[in-house]
Amino acid sequence: MNSAASKLPFQPFLVQLADLTLLQLTNWRWSWRGLLLTGILAPTFTILALGTFAADSGPLALGFVLTGNLVISLLFSTMGQVSSHFAFMRNVGRLEFFATLPVYRSALVLATLAAFFALSLPSTIATLIIGMIVLQVPVAISPWVLVVVPLISLRLSGLGTLLGLIGRTPEEVSSLNMLTTFVLAGLGPVVIPAENLPPFMSVIGLVSPATYAASALRQVILGWPDRLPLVLDLAVLAALTVGLLWLVERRLDWRVT
Amino acid sequence: MTRASASAGSAVYEVEALTKLYPGQTAAANDRMTFRVERGEIFGLLGANGAGKTTLVRQLANLLAPTSGAIRLFGRPLTCTPLYTPGLIGYMPQSGYAMNMVTVAETLYFTAHLRGLSRRDARRERDALIERLNLGALRDRVVPRLSGGQRRLVLLATALAASPPVLILDEPTNDLDPQHRRLVWDTVRAANRERGAAVILVTHNVVEAEQVIERVGIIQRGRLIAVGRPGQLKANLNHQLRLEILFDPARPPDLPAAAQPRELGPGRWFLLLDRAAGPDYVAALAGNPAVEDFRLSTATLEDLYLALAEPLPNGQTPEAQRVP
Repeated sequence: MNSAASKLPFQPFLVQLADLTLLQLTNWRWSWRGLLLTGILAPTFTILALGTFAADSGPLALGFVLTGNLVISLLFSTMGQVSSHFAFMRNVGRLEFFATLPVYRSALVLATLAAFFALSLPSTIATLIIGMIVLQVPVAISPWVLVVVPLISLRLSGLGTLLGLIGRTPEEVSSLNMLTTFVLAGLGPVVIPAENLPPFMSVIGLVSPATYAASALRQVILGWPDRLPLVLDLAVLAALTVGLLWLVERRLDWRVT
Repeated sequence: MTRASASAGSAVYEVEALTKLYPGQTAAANDRMTFRVERGEIFGLLGANGAGKTTLVRQLANLLAPTSGAIRLFGRPLTCTPLYTPGLIGYMPQSGYAMNMVTVAETLYFTAHLRGLSRRDARRERDALIERLNLGALRDRVVPRLSGGQRRLVLLATALAASPPVLILDEPTNDLDPQHRRLVWDTVRAANRERGAAVILVTHNVVEAEQVIERVGIIQRGRLIAVGRPGQLKANLNHQLRLEILFDPARPPDLPAAAQPRELGPGRWFLLLDRAAGPDYVAALAGNPAVEDFRLSTATLEDLYLALAEPLPNGQTPEAQRVP
């Protein structure tokens, strides 16, 4: 960094991150309704509907319904909320406001992801508890859940940020977000076991990040072994997270050309 | 280098042949603009809607990349490091609001803290700005729920937070009543005199802005057609008087055939007179029953702007005037 600018009065990265995270956490003032509706109610109804069908198919299917809906909850509460938030910030000039403050773009992105992860936790936990009660699936929660859930949330939030920055209008972002949610949830063994999917969907599912998220959740929440080992899930999720954050950092050039 | 030493040179901004052409457009929004903004001065930008003022200040704030040309801030390119320009400017946009569901007090505190003040100083700065701009009653209200005028005041306070050495204010008095407009002008003047800030000001409120502007640039269709001190630029109009006439719109008064009034609004005309013709005109108007009121004054910055912005009788546009 140029020595001149480095001595200008601005805060260290971690202080910027803390301030911006606190600022972004204030989004609970508007986002709680959306989180309640899409982060809890939508997965709950899906659990009830799919659980009814899957009840006769045994614990494997019920386990997929539970973890698959956790992925859906995270898709709605992180990817959806973050993409809407970035679209909104662009639309009302908030990104420009941050561009006129001495803060790093990466601090803003990380703060937004951290804040929306924190905001998504209640709906994720509520979905898990409701699923356990409704589906009667025995769980064996591993400490690795503390790594897996934030990693999934970060990755989906990163994807949400990218969608929020790609779309030209909030409406376009909303459509992109819906499309991505359904594609990710429907492609591969996320809600439905691989055995019950057409073979081509299982193969295509291998390129879907939701497949690795669902696989990791089955292993750390249900304690089930999976076709994909946890270490592979974590590696794929971590690589995707890093790649997405790099893309977001590049895309978030708030100086318009 | 600190802010103080960054401000040590005489020029705050040096703009050279700045051109901005938006994609898909054939006419440049800013066309080869060259000017300087000096340390500690209040520099006004005047021009009609769409003249290119906001495009210019957004480039000065490094929010918009120029198509060609150069901008230096305290002698350095705006993009020399990521935090260089935002570390030196306070920017008040024409519209929008700073943060989302954040209260006025939170907005000011976080802005001041992110601009480098300690937490204690940021709290003091927040309180001082709230008092300065009479925002006490709004302190704990979230910004998007404020009226348009209240938001303008919060945006101004946000730009001022932590005393950046350069203030870029785009239409700071829009949506404000006369009392608050005066408060804004007083605050801008105080920021300039007490805090030493250079101020770049875009406004349509030319008459009021004339009280604070030290140098002015007039923009017409993307070109800077005049730059200089208002008094010097108005020298060409000094042989003229400004006459404003108020009347019932349903009964416009008869004026001498040579007079070419310009309509300022319903029942409101103004015209520029030769000084010598002033007394006769006043005498005629005083006895004209259709005239409800009239005001005679020396030419204002607004007159200068209108005179420059209007095509000359021979159809040419005025050549750029530069007065140091």
